[in-house]
Amino acid sequence: MSKHTVSRRAFLMGSAALSGAGLVRAANIKTRLWPGNRNDVQCGIIGYGPQGRDITATLARVPGAQVAAICDTYGPMLRRAQRDAPEATRHEDYREILNNPDIQAIIVATPTHLHRDIAVNALQAGKNVYCEAPMASSIEDAKAIARAARDATGQIFQVGQTYRSNPQHRSVFQFMRSGAIGKPAMARGQWHAKESWRRASPSADRVRELNWRLDPAITTGLIGEAALLQMDVAYWVLGELPASVHGFGQIMAWEDGREVPDTIQAIFEFPSGLHMMFDATLASSFDEAYEAYYGSDSTILFRDRGKAWMFKEVDAPMLGWEVYARTDRFYKETGIALLANATQLDAQNVDPTEDDPNVETPLWYALQEFMDNHAFGPYPPAANWERGLEATAVAITANQAIMERAQRDIDPASYTLG
Amino acid sequence: MQTVRMALNAMATRFEFLLHGDDAVLLRGAGEEALAEIKRLEQQLSFYDPTSEISQLNANASKEPVRVTPRLYSLLRKAAEIHNETHGAFDVTVGPLMRCWGFVRGRGTWPEEHERKEALTKTGMDKVVLNDAERTVAFRQPGMALDLGAIGKGYAIEEAGIFLREGGITSALLHGGTSTMLAIGTPPQNTDGWPIGISDPLDDSQMLTSTSIRDEALSVSAPRGKGFQKDGKMWGHVIDPRKGYPVQGATLSAVAHPSAMICDAISTALLAMRREDGKQVQQKFHGMRTLCVYDDAGATDLVSLEFHSTHPTNQ
Repeated sequence: MSKHTVSRRAFLMGSAALSGAGLVRAANIKTRLWPGNRNDVQCGIIGYGPQGRDITATLARVPGAQVAAICDTYGPMLRRAQRDAPEATRHEDYREILNNPDIQAIIVATPTHLHRDIAVNALQAGKNVYCEAPMASSIEDAKAIARAARDATGQIFQVGQTYRSNPQHRSVFQFMRSGAIGKPAMARGQWHAKESWRRASPSADRVRELNWRLDPAITTGLIGEAALLQMDVAYWVLGELPASVHGFGQIMAWEDGREVPDTIQAIFEFPSGLHMMFDATLASSFDEAYEAYYGSDSTILFRDRGKAWMFKEVDAPMLGWEVYARTDRFYKETGIALLANATQLDAQNVDPTEDDPNVETPLWYALQEFMDNHAFGPYPPAANWERGLEATAVAITANQAIMERAQRDIDPASYTLG
Repeated sequence: MQTVRMALNAMATRFEFLLHGDDAVLLRGAGEEALAEIKRLEQQLSFYDPTSEISQLNANASKEPVRVTPRLYSLLRKAAEIHNETHGAFDVTVGPLMRCWGFVRGRGTWPEEHERKEALTKTGMDKVVLNDAERTVAFRQPGMALDLGAIGKGYAIEEAGIFLREGGITSALLHGGTSTMLAIGTPPQNTDGWPIGISDPLDDSQMLTSTSIRDEALSVSAPRGKGFQKDGKMWGHVIDPRKGYPVQGATLSAVAHPSAMICDAISTALLAMRREDGKQVQQKFHGMRTLCVYDDAGATDLVSLEFHSTHPTNQ
């Protein structure tokens, strides 16, 4: 592995910064170094379902990354891999990729319950690992991965809680932590879609494997597979982890013999006394996904992968920059748009009230952080093994509460390796 | 035998699937995966979403070569090939001309001559540099932009068809906005294929003709719908990228071919082509059937090239 050698990219970025051109220039440098630079991080993708494909397509546009190998156990997925990344080698056994000394980074995008062996073996093989969220489907598995990540000093382990790397979320996080909503009152989130979660294949065995999200023995349910990234933002901006959760689950739309609820509600109780309610459904797509944080001065709404607005109470104090801000109408409410880099856009003569033309998806920023870590690190990423273990532990306990329609305390020991 | 219908709003149109099979749960499962793929392609190819790969490319490709994903690169290669085969009548760089004619958000307006000439300098697939080795795209002129609107819907339908077949679907009809459709197998009761009617470009309530498709796609284009009147003449919203004026070719074109993407592109190109050129293009694509309607001083002339012959059975 060449992680200790200074890559050409790192050198160029460093010299650009030294010359005073600043990081604004970094965006222009990236394409000149592509592709096939021998310093590009050689990545192996394990698991080529929808998430593996998204990651592959995104890595193709992240500076310093090269998708060199793809593994899946199902023929049609490997055929898709060939069309999406023709230069990558294809494998049915992930250990072939781990055994390849040229591969530096492993991206684990298999079904959740299969993460453990792959992530632990990859770390023990000396690879840097990006593991999709939830990290695992049992707390025991999550801890095994966390332990391997903690013990792999000098290696990178990042979990796919992508909003932690998103500049837009980071900006609103600072804003919330500065007390902009006043005294917090409560929080609420939702994830709504109209889809069955069923997957099809001409092979009956394959149908069973594909439908792991509907297998009560291994799934983390809607609260894990759909809501985890949004809930992770809550732990981050609130600065605390839930102490208990009360869950409800129903089958309201898809009466096809499933046991896993297609509609859930969970109420999380935080040590500060604040409660957050999250509901998720596969029965209705109305209003899709968002989170709202309600306070005495204002409410902040996150939606559309990191856009945010503030809705002020009439008696709230005036904020200095408010008069310049863009406002959007939401029926009878007026939201002040919270933009990550309004002043920077202004300096570039881009109207700050327009959508930022340079914005990328949260997954792109997360993978960019992972790649940058190869050049400048290793340092603990924003979504490190601790954040992964915490969010996974909450999701697993909440899913148990939902399946039991019960209240459950969350064992603080589940959040740490002790 | 069970039937599942599914729909999705994407790419400024409505996609619908009609799926037949033994198990409705599996039909829906396969359909959802295919719809999700269309949504993914919309996010990648959208001209209007600033985070789409196309928007990123358009924002940067006149400054420097931009590296794109292998799938988008091969789509652009295909678009360049079709551009060559149609002698420039199909062109995904037509955006600046569309804007200058007021068709991007409005009903259209006659531009000043200097505006039209200026837009022409920013149009032309020959001004797009595709570098196979680097997998990069660059524009020779500032102000150029790729808009895959004339090929995206067909591409999305074609990819959805691949997903449905992989999911075990053997009988299905897919369409996007009723103008591009793809047939998988045949309907349960009709081994000839899926019957498709084509309405008269001058009178929507009248059926012009019909055909049937089986393991084949069909696309219909017409410059009607959006346009404006000038000097007693109707000017429609399809621009001939070579001349920079609204098209003066066929008033309706229908193309059947195994590839939905090729159908979509060629049916648009035929609107900008004369009869003889249209025939030549049809001969370049193996297994293509076309139907064009030309307006001869008020009289309708219908040119069918194997359009009503039976579909190829060896697909």
